[in-house]
Amino acid sequence: MFPHHVVDLLDLSSDLIFTVTTVIFCFLIYLKTRESYELTKYKGIKYFRDAFLFFGISYVLRFLFSLTLLSRVTNELLLPKGLVMLLSIILLGYFSTMGIVYLIFSFIWKKFDNKKLEIFGHGIAIALSIVALFTASHLMLISLQIILLGIALILGFTTKLKVGKMSPTKGLYFLIIALWFINLIITSERLFTWETEVFFQITSIVVFAIIYHKISKLI
Amino acid sequence: MNKKRDRLGVIFGILNYINLQHNSVKPTPLLRHSGLSSSSFTEYYQELIGKGFIKEIIDKNGKYATLTDKGFKYLEKYKTILGFIQEFEL
Repeated sequence: MFPHHVVDLLDLSSDLIFTVTTVIFCFLIYLKTRESYELTKYKGIKYFRDAFLFFGISYVLRFLFSLTLLSRVTNELLLPKGLVMLLSIILLGYFSTMGIVYLIFSFIWKKFDNKKLEIFGHGIAIALSIVALFTASHLMLISLQIILLGIALILGFTTKLKVGKMSPTKGLYFLIIALWFINLIITSERLFTWETEVFFQITSIVVFAIIYHKISKLI
Repeated sequence: MNKKRDRLGVIFGILNYINLQHNSVKPTPLLRHSGLSSSSFTEYYQELIGKGFIKEIIDKNGKYATLTDKGFKYLEKYKTILGFIQEFEL
């Protein structure tokens, strides 16, 4: 086991590398798909690329939140703790829920009226952020997002929506969302060892890299 | 043409036909070839002009539709974009 201050430094360094790499992949995916969207204005592409934009923003916010938690330990905090917590819950709640919802929309959008679907997406993101804000808990936010994902999966696979079988692509989408939950838990709760955290971070990077590689091969 | 084509396929069909006709075709044969209803064709036709995929040229023989650079780019990228949509189930 490493001493506590070394763990903090290791935590911060690995988290910084992880965040920068993940955010670069998210924005690369967003930029790589721009021409395809601008040429076609295809809704599925819009939801797909916007989902990665929202995940990129969420990972930046997650890192900033993690940074303020660490700086609190070393008495370098400039903002009141409560304010940081509330801001991070609202912003993380909104952007990460939008990422999850838009990723799901990217393969179910054909079944719905798109204007209503977008309003519904923003509505869910705002509602989840507000509920998480009132409970002032990141774990509540994660729980609500997990419930949301569960409902989407149940609706998708058991009702008339019929989004199809679990394919490798949908498996990747599911992994992105699941790894988001884990990475957010890592930031707010000390549940895992540093080595386990790094394992999840590397797994996340690999998933984003696979998606970017697949897109680069195609377009 | 298959009536159940999606929007991207319809646009590809219209642009591709213009290209095959040496990049100059009158709206009436284009409508006939598209297999769309007159009102539906007009919607697509105006949308393609509005988005800069095609432009109309008027000379003494009448109106002709021709592809713009953006229209050629759509034709060139259509299959790769379709592959991307299918691969990611979008």
